[in-house]
Amino acid sequence: MTSTKMQRRIRIAGTLVSLGMIVELISLLWTTPTAFILFLIPGAILIVAGILFYLYSLVSVAESPADEGITEPVI
Amino acid sequence: MISPTVILIGTIVVSIILAGLVASRPSVTNSRGGKILAFVSILLFPLLVTSMGVDEHIEHSKTTAFCTSCHVMEDYGKSLHVDDASYLPAAHFQNNRVPRDKACYTCHTDYTMYGGFRSKLRGLRHVYVQYIGKIPEKIELYNAYNNRECLHCHAGARSFEEGATHNMEDGRLDLIKSNKLSCLSTGCHEVVHNVSGLKDVKLWSENDKKNDGGGEK
Repeated sequence: MTSTKMQRRIRIAGTLVSLGMIVELISLLWTTPTAFILFLIPGAILIVAGILFYLYSLVSVAESPADEGITEPVI
Repeated sequence: MISPTVILIGTIVVSIILAGLVASRPSVTNSRGGKILAFVSILLFPLLVTSMGVDEHIEHSKTTAFCTSCHVMEDYGKSLHVDDASYLPAAHFQNNRVPRDKACYTCHTDYTMYGGFRSKLRGLRHVYVQYIGKIPEKIELYNAYNNRECLHCHAGARSFEEGATHNMEDGRLDLIKSNKLSCLSTGCHEVVHNVSGLKDVKLWSENDKKNDGGGEK
């Protein structure tokens, strides 16, 4: 089964967001400044990266329809 | 009642499952429902849990355990357990005049409009100094301690308003209230954390009290 470029980007975005939320979940187990740093630096950054990648995957669809497997209709 | 932390953890777990589902099967986004699922799981839920997480960590940062978890603050935490009522923080901590779990924050936050916000900015700076910067030899307050922080609780209290020492002469109470006569540095309540003398003092613990079977001294 082949996946389109958009689906590959959504896969990456979903993975980044999932990893970020796992890090955030782990950081909530401690009450120390290190936990706060863990939450912000890898956690929130991974989530922001995932969200930006997801938004990019949406806006880039219109740029290259051929890349997304959309072809000209045969008349 | 379910605590906000449990709600947050539950929300994060659900979000991870949904985002993981979209990541493992991106083809679900071909359908309208899948597109909505992706939008919710990759955009809305992560933003929601991150904002809830920031709020939770800010709440954590108000706790005594958080402040005293840094090595440099250990002695200040210990000073809350000094078995001597002349130690102002210890007397407040041990007699529940401040919430024990938020003892540092209660006294070291400016009770002004942006006091809490400024405290958090300072806290971020402290985190930076702890990990990257240079920890100063001697820990000092940014500004002289303002009576306003004491009066936040004590103003209006009978023991404060009618106290013999506070009314020893005319106008003294007004001087205290206007911060012209410091509570701490004018010889009245001058023993504060005094961390340099901690090795010579007896420490109190809640367990000691329970073992003695005695009440408050």
